[in-house]
Amino acid sequence: MTDDQTTVYVLQTQPYFEDLKQVAAQLAGLLVLEESGAAPDHPMLLSARSVYRNAVDGLRSTRVPSCARVHHNHLLAAAQNLSAALQPTADKLIPLEQSYAELRAASNALPGFPMLNFEKGCCAVHR
Amino acid sequence: MKNSYSVWICEFANVPTYPLSGLIYGAHNQGTVRLPYCYVVIKGQGHIAMVDVGYNHKEYGATLANLYGVRDWHPPRQVLAEIGIAPEDVTRIFLTHAHFDHMGNIEDFPRATFYIQERELSKWVWAMSLERRFRWIMGGVDPADIMRTVALARDHRLVAVNGDREDVLPGIDLHAAPDTHTWGSMYVRLRNDLSPNSKNTWIFAGDLVYMQENLRGYLKEDPEYIPIGFAMGSQFNLLMTTEDLVKGVDGDVNRVIAIHEDRLKDMFPSRLAANGVRVTELALADGEPSRVT
Repeated sequence: MTDDQTTVYVLQTQPYFEDLKQVAAQLAGLLVLEESGAAPDHPMLLSARSVYRNAVDGLRSTRVPSCARVHHNHLLAAAQNLSAALQPTADKLIPLEQSYAELRAASNALPGFPMLNFEKGCCAVHR
Repeated sequence: MKNSYSVWICEFANVPTYPLSGLIYGAHNQGTVRLPYCYVVIKGQGHIAMVDVGYNHKEYGATLANLYGVRDWHPPRQVLAEIGIAPEDVTRIFLTHAHFDHMGNIEDFPRATFYIQERELSKWVWAMSLERRFRWIMGGVDPADIMRTVALARDHRLVAVNGDREDVLPGIDLHAAPDTHTWGSMYVRLRNDLSPNSKNTWIFAGDLVYMQENLRGYLKEDPEYIPIGFAMGSQFNLLMTTEDLVKGVDGDVNRVIAIHEDRLKDMFPSRLAANGVRVTELALADGEPSRVT
């Protein structure tokens, strides 16, 4: 069960959680293309940075109830690692993996933050 | 018939009641069918290859079981043991597409080299750059899989294939099926006599077809193609690819293997092990003992 303040927090931060997931996935995808010899589309990095900034701004302005503090800390840590991965010269894989671990920890800390949306998958259907 | 490879279909989980409309386009309100989750194992010519590797039970097993009714999951080590193989023995893995239930178990195969269409990767990356309102597109894709793929690439165990590629192993061809089930789907064609004009071919279709009905319609005497219920690309492209699949096996639709088809066990020799793992045997190379008798 969650109280009203926590529910408000969950609803406010869900989009930022999704944004951080998207940035992590996008950076990982670009890295795969680089490593496999394909020519990645670098303008996508601009999009990733824009989504990242939106998420961080939102997270910093969110009112955090005490029982969501741990969750919020995981999101901030994920964002911090993504910031490192967004640096042009950085080795992206390690901070990316750390950011994903933080997102997974956030996913486990409160309901409403799934790492993977099965409802839109083709081979799993909601009962 | 000379077989250069042995081939098994290994079922690692199932959904007891899956809506038929998800599998056959337009089959609304026609009830449900049992949906098996399988991967293909191909053994011969000094290699053990697989088509797809299943989903990551460690991360998603509980969710899939509780919310989506997926059950009877078995780990690759347990499944492959039924055909005398360990995950470490697998040398090549062909990923038909990047959905979680086909590429989630990458980490379980530490010595394999993985093949996927470059288009599958590049278009997913592009899709991630779209606005949030397009998020439906990313359904079924697990960012963690992409993360694991980076590690594969760094370990020089990822081959991004651009279009068709013949003889990726002797007698095994990869065929691109762009803009169908996904943007960069591919299927695997096995010429089991190794001949360029083989009369002993199998096609492993990934999710390009789910059931026999996709290949022949509802009336055997008046066949038609009916696309699957889920296309990121177009139904038209799925139909034209279905034509390629059927031509690729000289019209013998039983040799187009849909790994979600529950009736495979009735079409070919099959065995249900005591632990619940089902193995279906399509072909045996010379000297290879049957795993189903």
